[in-house]
Amino acid sequence: MREHLLKISVSGIRGVVGEFLTPGLACAFAQAFGTYVGPGRVVVGRDTRSSGEMLERAVACGLLAAGCEVVETGILPTPTIQIYVEATGARGGLAITASHNPPEYNALKLFNSRGLFFNNYERSELLDLYHQSEFRHAANHEIGVVRRDTTTARKLHIGRVLDCVDPRRIRERRFRVAVDAVNGAASEMTCDFLTEELGCELHAISVDPTKPFPRIAEPRPDTLGDLSTLVRERGCDVGFAQDPDGDRLAVADETGRVLDNDDVLALAVETALDRMGGDVVVNLTTSSIIDEIAGRYGRRVHRTPVGEANVVELMLAVNAVIGGEGSNGGIIFPRVHACRDSFTGMAFILDRMAATGDTASQLAGRLPRYYRRLGKVTFEHGKLGALMQALEETFPGAAADRADGLKLILPDAWIHVRASNTEPLLRLAAEAKSPERLEDVYGTVTRLFEQS
Amino acid sequence: MADKSLRISHAGLRGVVGNGLTAAHVLDFAAAFGTLLEPGTPVAIGRDPRASGAMLREGVVAGLLASGHDVIDLGMVSTPVIQHAIRRLDAGGGVSIGASHNSADWNALKFFGPGGIYLSTAQAGELLDIYHLRRFDFADWRAIGALREQDDAIERYVEELAEHFDFDALRRFLVVADCCNGTSSLILRRLEQRYGLRAILLNERIDGLRFAHEPAINREMVGLQLAPLVKPLNADAGILFDVDSDRVGIATEEGDPISEEMIQPMLADHLLPRGPGKLVITNLSSTALLEEIASRHGGKVIRVPVGRQAAIDALTGYRPDQIALAGEGTGAVMMPEFRFVYDGIAAMLAILTMIAERGQKLSRIVGGYPKYCMMKTQLPLVTSRIPELLMELQDKYSDGKVTVIDGLRVDWPDRWFHVRVSQTEPAIRVIAERRGEEPRELFEELVERVRRLA
Repeated sequence: MREHLLKISVSGIRGVVGEFLTPGLACAFAQAFGTYVGPGRVVVGRDTRSSGEMLERAVACGLLAAGCEVVETGILPTPTIQIYVEATGARGGLAITASHNPPEYNALKLFNSRGLFFNNYERSELLDLYHQSEFRHAANHEIGVVRRDTTTARKLHIGRVLDCVDPRRIRERRFRVAVDAVNGAASEMTCDFLTEELGCELHAISVDPTKPFPRIAEPRPDTLGDLSTLVRERGCDVGFAQDPDGDRLAVADETGRVLDNDDVLALAVETALDRMGGDVVVNLTTSSIIDEIAGRYGRRVHRTPVGEANVVELMLAVNAVIGGEGSNGGIIFPRVHACRDSFTGMAFILDRMAATGDTASQLAGRLPRYYRRLGKVTFEHGKLGALMQALEETFPGAAADRADGLKLILPDAWIHVRASNTEPLLRLAAEAKSPERLEDVYGTVTRLFEQS
Repeated sequence: MADKSLRISHAGLRGVVGNGLTAAHVLDFAAAFGTLLEPGTPVAIGRDPRASGAMLREGVVAGLLASGHDVIDLGMVSTPVIQHAIRRLDAGGGVSIGASHNSADWNALKFFGPGGIYLSTAQAGELLDIYHLRRFDFADWRAIGALREQDDAIERYVEELAEHFDFDALRRFLVVADCCNGTSSLILRRLEQRYGLRAILLNERIDGLRFAHEPAINREMVGLQLAPLVKPLNADAGILFDVDSDRVGIATEEGDPISEEMIQPMLADHLLPRGPGKLVITNLSSTALLEEIASRHGGKVIRVPVGRQAAIDALTGYRPDQIALAGEGTGAVMMPEFRFVYDGIAAMLAILTMIAERGQKLSRIVGGYPKYCMMKTQLPLVTSRIPELLMELQDKYSDGKVTVIDGLRVDWPDRWFHVRVSQTEPAIRVIAERRGEEPRELFEELVERVRRLA
């Protein structure tokens, strides 16, 4: 497999820092960004990666060179930065974070004036500017300053989350909460949020933003062993884990079992629909549990291609109350902000526990039961069409959705096959009502791929 | 001349921000410098008040951090302050962000090696090679540097000045200083607060957008705002600084602006008696009064090509204790006590010390020297005809002593001329000087010949 040491694409710029992702590239990209959004305030924040400060300086250089004024938030979670962009009327913002990628990577996430990820049109226009080096070059009198505001953003964010739950009810329960923030951007804010705002008894590991990531950055059941142990040893009610930029959330119940991310999203959807009107938007790979829950409340579920920007775009179009991307731990709740937000997720889970008096395992146990399996296979680009056709012919009775790769929907199961945006591989997802049916469907697909 | 302005040379990077000098140049130069320096050493940086300095600073920091150097940002400080901090902090090198005597829309990067000394031509050439090859040694993600800000550089600098100058003796003088909205005011204010140096400051306000006047050091600029105020304010001297205070110009207590050419002879006269037989390093275009003063004190003048780089390279040929003074006729001087840093503040203090020691007014000291009259001009250039021109002049004036290390200089006992190609503009410079009176005939003849050929 080719290693993607540097990728400049419509998703922005991402790569291994040093030889590949250089300060020069980051600076040029930022100058293209500054040229695109125009002279005015641009927010810059970052996660805790060792390359963060260097890239922060390079990005500030490019923005100033384009005639922008830079407002630096320092180390903050991505959703917090996005909220700050929108609330302060900035022209746009950049988060310097490679999200859940390994520590040698870094990347730039780009936001428009509403604090939303650049949509496809914005991204391709920006990319054209970058490739053509059509930069605005500010003269001495047009060059702005760098201001620093490290406090406003977190207050804004926390305030919005607290407005959407019942903090008093949560505080009264004095939950014992375990946290693993992977020493990431959310470390300090999560501790403050849980103790000071929600009155929890905190048992935290990996909440030192000056230290490297102690585990694989993506919060998944197989990477959260330490959190599970912590929950069990300290007798916690629940455990939360984040990724380095604090947009993704994973949850462990009181037994230390890390819940499936689709189940976490389902609990958040339940919490939201229980109190508020509106539809739900999820990506094609998200579990059918969401359809079942929405059905109980008489709401509609809209499906989009994979990718936060896609989900957010449709959520705003249909004025959805909540949405997300199940498999990757993203809960999107527009009343706080139309982005993935681990803080909303934590507040919703605690609020649900407080409202029902149930334990985390009881809440998860009451969700409709589905069996899921995810996988990935490498593929050759030229053969993809034929492969998809063969797949469709294998399941003649299925309804097909071609919005993002191919999703085949059967009465008791579905299969979704799509090419990854970030790596040269195919991602497979299958879900069924029973483990036998899942193995049957998943096995059929993998055999098909092996033959070709 | 070209609309876009960018100069990449041994002196570093210089240009008009947004119209020639871009963020990409800054980052690449900083990364090249980080690659040149001893790996892993810290680098001290600082900047002058130009607004674009904010942008350049970010680029410099990013390039250095990425190449594995910790960065110590000294903030808005004069170039000599940065150079002394490099040595004091035992840094691997340093960068001064500022365009000194250029107008506000320009900016520049100047690079220093360990000890705060200027890069030699060989080192500067290596830096340029790395820059042009764009083969930077970027650090692994685990070895990227960290940035720290340090705000005590001016304080430590004035303490070092106090070790060398007797402020008890200098306190009785009043100086009027034109700071040209640059960083010299920060130093002068500290010298006033800590050591009682009395100074009235003009154009004190730090301004990144416009300077009260062209930030050049010459007689005309001294005469513009500063000189007329010296006498009414009853001051002992008027001192003009450029934006980063590495040069000085002076006016007497009578309010007469003095040619920047006089700084070197005065300081040579002040410093040479302390160590007879010492050397003064200067360039081929500066006044012959230097030779006359040096011979009085048993010293010697070494003349090198015009430009900072030549003076810097010349220093490496001697032991520091052999040299009394090095500099140019532009008001830029380096003294061995100050580790050969071009330093306008130290030059000012040396001049005040001279007044104190001699017990004479500045006008008396200046008036006491024999009169040398210099005429200079600049003419357009046709590059291809320069060798022909220089050969013809050499033939014509073969009765004098000929020096050909930088254009052509011819010396006679009472007069000399120097014809050379400008390093900064497409032009030929013609300079002639004569003891006692203007070398009008020689000068006009030279100009005529250059016009005809070039």
